[in-house]
Amino acid sequence: MARIIASPAVNRRALLGGLAGMAGAGPVFAQPRGEQLLVVMWGAQWIEVCRPIGEEWMRATGDRIQWELHAGGAMAVVGRLRPLWPRVPQNLIAAWDPVFAAMMEAGWMEPVSETEMPALREIPDAFFKKDAQGRKMTVPLSTAGAFWGYRTDLVTGPPIESIEQLLEPRFRGKLCVPVPVNLSGLLLVSLAMQRGGNERNIEPGWQFLKQLAERGQIGRVVANNSEMINAMSAGDLSVAFWNTGGWQAVRDRFPCRLLTRLPDNKGFLFNEGFAVMKGENANRVAAAKRFANHFATAPINTRYNMPLGSGPTNINSTPAPAIADIFYKPDELERFAYIPDYAYMSSQVDAWTRRWETEITPLVRRG
Amino acid sequence: MKVALDLAARTLARLAVLAAVLFLLVPLLVACLLSFDDRSFLGAFPPQQFSLRWYRAFASNPTYLDGLLISLQLGLVAALIATTLGTLGALALMDPRLAGRDALEAVFLSPKFVPTVVIGFSLLVFTARLGIFDPFTRLVMGHVVITLPFTLRAVLASLIGVKRSQIEAAISLGASEARALWDVAVPAARSGIVAGAAMAFVLSFDEVAVSLFLSDAFTQTLPIALVAEMRANLNLTIAAVSTVFLAATLLLLLLLDRTIGIERLAGDVGARG
Amino acid sequence: MKRGIHLWLLAPGLLLLAMLMGGPVALLALESLKPFIPGSMRPGEGWTLAHYRELLQPAYLVYFWETFRIGLIVSTLSLLLGAPLAFAAVRSPRAAVRKGLLALLVGLLVMSLIARLYAIEMAWGSLGPLAPLGALLGFAPRHPRYAEVLVGIGLLHFTLPVVALMLVGTFRALSPRLEEAAASLGATRSDAVVSILLPLAAPGLVSAFLVALAMCISNFVAPLVLGRGVVVFTTSLMYTRFADIGNYPSGAAIGITMLILAFLVVYGLSALARRLVPR
Repeated sequence: MARIIASPAVNRRALLGGLAGMAGAGPVFAQPRGEQLLVVMWGAQWIEVCRPIGEEWMRATGDRIQWELHAGGAMAVVGRLRPLWPRVPQNLIAAWDPVFAAMMEAGWMEPVSETEMPALREIPDAFFKKDAQGRKMTVPLSTAGAFWGYRTDLVTGPPIESIEQLLEPRFRGKLCVPVPVNLSGLLLVSLAMQRGGNERNIEPGWQFLKQLAERGQIGRVVANNSEMINAMSAGDLSVAFWNTGGWQAVRDRFPCRLLTRLPDNKGFLFNEGFAVMKGENANRVAAAKRFANHFATAPINTRYNMPLGSGPTNINSTPAPAIADIFYKPDELERFAYIPDYAYMSSQVDAWTRRWETEITPLVRRG
Repeated sequence: MKVALDLAARTLARLAVLAAVLFLLVPLLVACLLSFDDRSFLGAFPPQQFSLRWYRAFASNPTYLDGLLISLQLGLVAALIATTLGTLGALALMDPRLAGRDALEAVFLSPKFVPTVVIGFSLLVFTARLGIFDPFTRLVMGHVVITLPFTLRAVLASLIGVKRSQIEAAISLGASEARALWDVAVPAARSGIVAGAAMAFVLSFDEVAVSLFLSDAFTQTLPIALVAEMRANLNLTIAAVSTVFLAATLLLLLLLDRTIGIERLAGDVGARG
Repeated sequence: MKRGIHLWLLAPGLLLLAMLMGGPVALLALESLKPFIPGSMRPGEGWTLAHYRELLQPAYLVYFWETFRIGLIVSTLSLLLGAPLAFAAVRSPRAAVRKGLLALLVGLLVMSLIARLYAIEMAWGSLGPLAPLGALLGFAPRHPRYAEVLVGIGLLHFTLPVVALMLVGTFRALSPRLEEAAASLGATRSDAVVSILLPLAAPGLVSAFLVALAMCISNFVAPLVLGRGVVVFTTSLMYTRFADIGNYPSGAAIGITMLILAFLVVYGLSALARRLVPR
């Protein structure tokens, strides 16, 4: 009964899909029956750049693309899908290194190969995550980063050259930081590195974070891209630690400086891309791979990364001018950038979250 | 002295009413105004330039319309089931001689006090164990649970005036117990049944926590579509949505006032406590 | 025979609750006793009380306390504002006032809470035109604790129409003759309301308060939308466990604890009220 009642909406979507197919005209008209794919993507600029790409794809192939948005960080999708596995409708999930690690551990991902996805030939081998047998498991689309940065129109006084300065009174209530679930705790790693630690020696990070919270420097705790973009657009916060995509949206509106070359600390680099999910329907998995391959081709890869301020992975793509900040020369890479053990971090998020709840939130609330 | 005190008390009450009305209305008016803001982000008030960009964004996003359809269907189905079960339960609970009546009533009302996040998540795990993966079925299950206490309560409230003796009288005239209930109690409960159903529909229509766990991308209620959009894309489309909501609500109220009469409707809905 | 029909009438509802609430909650209670293995998708072997023990840490007790504290404040406010509102909607001599107030209350009930919360963020948020008014409550709009004010406002917007409508039902059931009789005995109108109407309405007031409290403590969207990541309700803690980090056993333990506390508080308060205000 439920299915019958639910069907009008589904029919409507099918109808729209059909109409979209017809609008393409020409040879496309000959193959109106395609696969329906469910693709999980981030909101904000991510979905904005993806929707038109998806529409063109639907017109060209007859496949129907349904987008689902990540609620919060990409890790949340793992928690949500777990009780349903293997009965999950998602075919492609946009994710990044720690989430890839978690999904690979769960055995949810379908291996990808250059024979099925020719565009992968143009992506350097180093970008792929591989399983124990050495098979490629991810479709890397971007090299992105997470950095400290600030709005130069709001920060008066000497420019920030070290995040130690964030303890100064002028930054009271001005910091916008992610919860540990978000960016899998990179904030903590950054703070730990400032005080001589790293992801496995995280204690110095907690101490620094406590200092910041105790002095009332943290004005806002955000949980996703749009919250960060809005918080940093409002004007009452001036400094943040966030990913390049969020920064790019803020930079489009206000003058910002990304602290990608700190003398006493490092920025983080990671890969974003698609995970192809295992599925019972082989045709659908194949269609998902074709769509992911489309994103990996040089022109689409260029277009996808442009508004995100991230670096394309396809060697034939053109990088956006905005990424000059994170486009390190080989010798700089060593000095300014760091690639932590994301798989290890994703196993610590639970413990870090509790510690945040018991030790940091009460301090932040005091202001 | 006494008169002065009376005057003061009445002024205070009037002020409270005024404050409550302003408190409820002003945010909606601000949202209306901001929905015409031309900026691409939530900036300082008031907006400097106006445009219809957020309405265009709203109209061009089919997620909302799909969500609306699902929400309407879900609200109707859940209200129908919850009202039926609630009415049956109330007909039994109206009998003062029923053993353990207070305890049974407490059981029926208990979902009201279970955090909805708990209901949503536990149902997700439970249905997955049972192999029920159809999101609409799952949503109906969750929404029936959370609306049942309200329908039961509304029907019970409307049955207060029905005396047991009236039913006994019908039975002594040869009607079966079921027949007597149907002829005497059900007509009396009509306003409660309508109010309960309306309340169930409204509750279901606005539900977030349960639906958040039980929806999927293909079967998403309107509030979930709004939450997803808000978490992913915090922009003023939501302001446009609330303005459209406000306009639709006003229209609906005008219509209701013309047909049922707003005072009667509010009385029935209010009786559900 | 009579027992028979009662059974048939009660069975469908009870069966449904047992299946769709009892069963899942029991499953959740079992889940809350399983160990959690970080980074793994499966619960561990054996049984443990660790997830409950963890909640005894002072920081977590504070979250429970905060949830109930804000809930109690908001329910009290919604009673204080809702009672005069409902009274005016029932007894105002002007039909336009009665109709207008009722339309407002019913209208708000129909309007999506998400849309309303967003409207509150725009009106009362740190950039909103009402922020100076909110600051009168003691926190500057940019102070993290201002988020508490915002969440309170959001919850009040959620509960006030419901409470007022419930009280409309209560007041309507009381005959206006009672006040007239009091007035004929020389009482002023406010006297009559306080000494005659309020005691009679007490059960309705209590039940409205409890419903408001239950609505507040199990609400989850208001802290999500307005909490700035600083106001954390137990429901938000639970949601983070379930959805963001996939620690089901711990989330289940919070859920079960919350459920027990909610029942204790609600049924405890109503028992207390029954003793204080005999029906």
